[in-house]
Amino acid sequence: MNARNEENLKALFERFVSTEEAESNIEDFIKAERILEEYPAPEPNEELITAINSKIEEAIRLRKEHTFRRFAYKLAPVAAVFVVLAVVSVRMLKEGSGPVDLVRGPMIARDVWDSDNVAADDRNLAVFTTELDELEVEFATLESGDDGGNGRSAVTELEMDFAEINTDIWEG
Amino acid sequence: MAKSDDLAQIIDGCKAGSAEDFSQLVDIYTSRVHGYFYRLTGNSELSEELLSELFFKLVGKIGSYKGGSFDSWLFKIATNIFHDYLRSKQRRKKLLEVKKRQLESKITEAKRSESARIDKLQIQIGKLNDDTRELIMLRFYSQLSLKEVAKIRREPIGTTLSKLHRGLKRLRELMG
Repeated sequence: MNARNEENLKALFERFVSTEEAESNIEDFIKAERILEEYPAPEPNEELITAINSKIEEAIRLRKEHTFRRFAYKLAPVAAVFVVLAVVSVRMLKEGSGPVDLVRGPMIARDVWDSDNVAADDRNLAVFTTELDELEVEFATLESGDDGGNGRSAVTELEMDFAEINTDIWEG
Repeated sequence: MAKSDDLAQIIDGCKAGSAEDFSQLVDIYTSRVHGYFYRLTGNSELSEELLSELFFKLVGKIGSYKGGSFDSWLFKIATNIFHDYLRSKQRRKKLLEVKKRQLESKITEAKRSESARIDKLQIQIGKLNDDTRELIMLRFYSQLSLKEVAKIRREPIGTTLSKLHRGLKRLRELMG
């Protein structure tokens, strides 16, 4: 009787009763437990032990199966995600299309921005500005009716010139 | 009884799912746990049934054993199994029938020499109230300290000590 032999019954009893009473109580304990030892319970037969061991083996087998199944169920969604990713990756590689970069289109003609010759550009701008000033003067004259009676066609001509200059500026 | 190191190794094996280690555990504890169940039920068939249930449950529960006194842990499960058994209406009915049969055959059984010795104790144990009988048997078959027994029963050690002393004294008187 291991664990209980280590305990000090006397000290335990003495926490609640007198020393004399504690000794008497311990004697009651010892004598009563001796009776239990004298009348042992029947031992289980070997067949029962064999049956228990078989039952345990079966329980272990079922438990291992259950553990594996649970693991498989947990793993399945993760595996599915990997499969989908793999399929998508293979398709993308086959088609040679990587991720698409967004390209922003220029609002102004590319040639204007691409020009590195600032001096030439400045000269062109000066010429265009002078031409525009002259055309504006002519336009004002015509608008005022001093064109010699052919004002309408002259205005159309001027508008066409304006449009041409405008196009030239933005196309570089 | 297995040494604590040996027992720890066996328990580790059981946790790893070794049938061989479980078999050793059965060898170590069968006698005591069977005795405990037998003294509580007074019936071999029922105590064997409860014993099988205990070891079957142990396969699933062994992983939850986190150290400490294994005997205490095991007998706590055994006690719970016995309480579950008592709670079961069908089984309670069966137990009552068994007790009835026991009382009816008391005189016949008393005539048998070896079994008469066993049954005399069983008959007297039957005269104790359920709680006292359970306490005495838990203390005797589990071989646990009073502190551990009190812990299993969730009562102060002084209460356990007092109940046990009264119960054992009564048993002595009954056994004459």
